[in-house]
Amino acid sequence: MTGVERFLKRARSRVVGDRALNWGARGLAAGALAAAAAELAFRRFPVDPAWPVLAGCVFAGLLFGLVGWLRAWPSLPEVARLADLNLGSRERLSTALEFATAKSYLPSRQRLDAEAWAERADPRQVVPEGWPLRTLAVFLAAALFALGLWMLPNPALAQLRQHREALAAQNQAADQVATIAAKESQARPGEDPAARQALVKDLKKAEQAVRSASDPQSAVAALSQAQQDIRNLQDPNLGAKQQGSSAAGQALAQNPNPGQKAGQSLASQNNSQAAGDLRNLASSLASMSQADQQSLSQSLSQAAQAAAAGGNPQLSQSLQKASDALKNGDTAAAQAALNQAAAQTDQLQNGEDFAGDAAQAANGLQQAKTPLEQQAQAGQGSQGQGQQGQGQQGQGQGQGQGQQGQGQGQQGQGQQGQGQGQGQGQGQGQGQGQGQGQNGQGQGGQGQGGGQNGGQTAGAKSTEKVYVPSQGDPTGQGQNQGNGQGTDANLVPYEQVYADYKAAALNQVDRADIPQSERDLVNQYFANLGQ
Amino acid sequence: MSINAAADVQGDMTPERFSELALAIEKELGRVMVGQREVIRLVLMAMIAGGHVLLEGVPGLGKTVLVRSLGGVLHLEFARVQFTPDLMPADITGTHIVTEDERGRRRFEFQAGPLFTNLLLADEINRATPKTQSALLEAMQERQVTVGDRTRPLPDPFFVLATQNPIELEGTYPLPEAQLDRFFFKILVQFPNAADLAEIARRTTGTDEAELHPVASGAELAQMALLAREVPIAEHVLERGVATVLATHPDTPTAPVEVKRYVRWGSSPRGLQTLVLGARIRALLDGRFNVALEDLAAVAPAALRHRIFLNFEADAAGFTTDQVVAAVLQATG
Repeated sequence: MTGVERFLKRARSRVVGDRALNWGARGLAAGALAAAAAELAFRRFPVDPAWPVLAGCVFAGLLFGLVGWLRAWPSLPEVARLADLNLGSRERLSTALEFATAKSYLPSRQRLDAEAWAERADPRQVVPEGWPLRTLAVFLAAALFALGLWMLPNPALAQLRQHREALAAQNQAADQVATIAAKESQARPGEDPAARQALVKDLKKAEQAVRSASDPQSAVAALSQAQQDIRNLQDPNLGAKQQGSSAAGQALAQNPNPGQKAGQSLASQNNSQAAGDLRNLASSLASMSQADQQSLSQSLSQAAQAAAAGGNPQLSQSLQKASDALKNGDTAAAQAALNQAAAQTDQLQNGEDFAGDAAQAANGLQQAKTPLEQQAQAGQGSQGQGQQGQGQQGQGQGQGQGQQGQGQGQQGQGQQGQGQGQGQGQGQGQGQGQGQGQNGQGQGGQGQGGGQNGGQTAGAKSTEKVYVPSQGDPTGQGQNQGNGQGTDANLVPYEQVYADYKAAALNQVDRADIPQSERDLVNQYFANLGQ
Repeated sequence: MSINAAADVQGDMTPERFSELALAIEKELGRVMVGQREVIRLVLMAMIAGGHVLLEGVPGLGKTVLVRSLGGVLHLEFARVQFTPDLMPADITGTHIVTEDERGRRRFEFQAGPLFTNLLLADEINRATPKTQSALLEAMQERQVTVGDRTRPLPDPFFVLATQNPIELEGTYPLPEAQLDRFFFKILVQFPNAADLAEIARRTTGTDEAELHPVASGAELAQMALLAREVPIAEHVLERGVATVLATHPDTPTAPVEVKRYVRWGSSPRGLQTLVLGARIRALLDGRFNVALEDLAAVAPAALRHRIFLNFEADAAGFTTDQVVAAVLQATG
C-alpha cells in the first residue's frame, strides 16, 4: 500500500462519517417532511389511528437516509478527488492513484510528489467540518409543522370517528333488530300465521334498512318506519273487544248462575280461562235444570248486551244466540253458540298475545333506536360546528321525542311561556321535528347552531314522529324563524307543517352532490309518511 | 522536428531541466520584452508543443520584437514576411527561376521563399489575400511546401507566429476558420500598464541595447515537447477537458445559455488536443508532474477563443469568444 493509498483510506473514514451525518439529517428531514405531508393529507383524508402512518413516514425517512448513505459510500478515487478539491492538491492524489502502476518516468515522479504531499496533508481536512445546519433546519421546521398539525383538532378525523361510531351503532341496532326478529319468529299456537310472518318480515326489513343506511338519521327513520308498520299489524279493535268481553263477564258474573265462573274469568280478562269455562258451561248445559237454563239465558242475554255496548259485537252475538237457544230449550244450539263464544275468546287472547309481541318488538326497536338517535344528534352537532363554525346557540332550544304509548315528550326544554305549539325552525345542520301532541302544554322551541330544530310537545299522546331536515343556513348564521318559539304561538295544522317540511326536505335533497340513493330514501320516506 | 524524431533526442531531459530552460528563455526574453509575461509564457508553451501562434494586438506592443527575440533566444533561423494585399503565394513559398550553369546551359532552379525557415513571423497576416493565406495552410499543418510537382519539407522545427491588428480592419481579409484552427494558441497582446510603459521608455530611449543570447536549441525544444507529452493526466481531468470542448457547441445539452444563444459553431477536436497538451506543458512549467483542472482553465482561453465562431447576434451584442469560454468554464467547473 502506497503512502497515497494510506492517506486516502484515512480520509475515507472521515468522508464516511461526514456523509453519515449528512444522510442522517436528510433522512430525518425526509421523514419529517413526509409526516408533515401526511398530517396535511389527514386533514382531507383522515386516517385513524394515524400513528402507524406517521411512524412509517419517519421509518421511511430514516431508511432513505440509510440507503442514501450506503449508496454514497465513497470509493478511493472519489476520496482522492475530494481531497484534491478540498485540500488544494491540484489533482496530485487522484492522478497518483490512477497511475499507481505506471512504470514510466514522469508517472513515477508524480507518485513520489503526491506521496510527499500526502505526508504533509491532514486527512481530516478532506471534508469541511460542520453540521448540516440547513438540512437540520428543514427537519426541525417540518417536525414542528407536523407536530402542530398533530396537536391541532382535526375536523375530518372527528368526522371519521363519528362515522365509525355511527356505523357501529347501526350494526349494533341491526343486531338487536335481528335478535328481536328471531325471537318473534316463534308463532304461538292458534294465532294467525300471516300476522306473525308480516311482523317478522317488517323486522327483517328494518334490520336490512339499518345495516344499509347511509347515516344514523336514515337508520332512525327506517326503525321508526318499522315501528309504525308493526303497530299497523295490530288489531285496532282489540281494546274495544277486550272491553266488551270484560263487560260481558261482569254482567255474567253479577247473578248466581252456572255461567258465573266463566263471567268472572271474562271480567278478569283471563281469556284462556274464560274460554275453558265457556266450553265447560256448554258441555254442562244438557245436565242443567230448566230453571238454571232460564237463569243462565237471562244472564247470557245481559252479558250479550254488555258486550255489544263494550265494543265486542261478535261475542255479543254468540252470547245472544246461546241465550235465545236456552230460552227456546234448544240446548244443542246453545251449546254451539257457547263454544263459538269460547273460540272468540281464544281468538281475543291470541290477538292480545300478538299485540303484546308486537309492542315488545316495537319497544325493542325503540331501544335499538336510542343510541342511533344520540349518534345522529352528535353527528349533526359536530357537522354544524365543524362546517360552519359560527353557529349561534339556539334560542329557545328544544329537542323532543314523542313516543306513542308513553304519552309524553322527552328532553323538552323551552323558554318563555307555555302554549300549545309546534316548533318549526331553521338552523344549521339538520334538525328534527318530532312529536305532535294533543292535550298538552307545548313548549315550542327551535334548535340552532348545533343544528337541531325541534318543535315539541309534552303531551299526553304523541301519535307521529316526523324527521325533517332543517334548512341549513349557508352563511353559518342560523336564525330562528317560524312559529313555535313557545311564546303563545298559534297552532299550525299538522298538514301544513308536514307539507312545509316535506317541501323543504325535498328541496334540500334535490342537489347533484347528494347521491340518488339518499334522495330516493327521503322520497320514499315521505311517500310512506303520506300513506 | 516530429515527435518520433524527438524521441531519439529526448536524452536526459528532466522536469527540472524543463523548468530551468523555460525560465531561462523567459528571462532572456524579459530583457527585451517589458511586461507581457503571460504572452511570453503562452508563446513558449505553444512552441514547446510545436504549435503556431496567432498574436492579436494593436501596433506597437512588441509583437514583432517578441518573435524576433525568440529566434535569437532559441538559436533558430528567423524570417519575417509583411503580409500585404499584393503578396502572392510564391512570394512566401518560393518559385522556380531560370539559372545558367557553368557551361551556359539554362535550367529551372527552385528559389526557396521565406517559409523555409525555423521561425516565421507572418506580420499582419490578415492583410494578405485568402489565396496567399491559404499558401500557409499546407506549411502550417504538414510542415511541407508543394511548388509545381514537387513537395519540399520545411526545416525542423517550424513555427509560424502570425500577428494581426484588431483595428484598421478596412482592406483586410479575415482568416478562414480552417486556417484559424491550425493555430495552437491565439494570444491577445494587451496594452502595457503604466509601470511597463515607463520601463519601455527607459530601455528604448537610452544608449544601452539589450543583447540576446541563445539559451536553448531547437533540439532541446523538441525534448521538452516530448517530456511534456508524458505528463500524466487523470481520467476525470481529461473528461473535464472533453466536457469543456463539447460545451462550446450550442447543440450540446450541457452547453451554457451564452453558447446556445451566441455561438454558431464550437471548437474542433484540435481544440481539445490543444487544451490537453497546453495543460500538460503548463503543469511542468508550474513544477508539477500531473495535469490539474486549473491548468485546463488557464490555457482554455488561448486554446479555444479562435476555434469558437459567433453568430450575428453575438456581434450585435458585443459578445466575445473570451466571454463564451468563461461561461463554458463556469458551466463545466
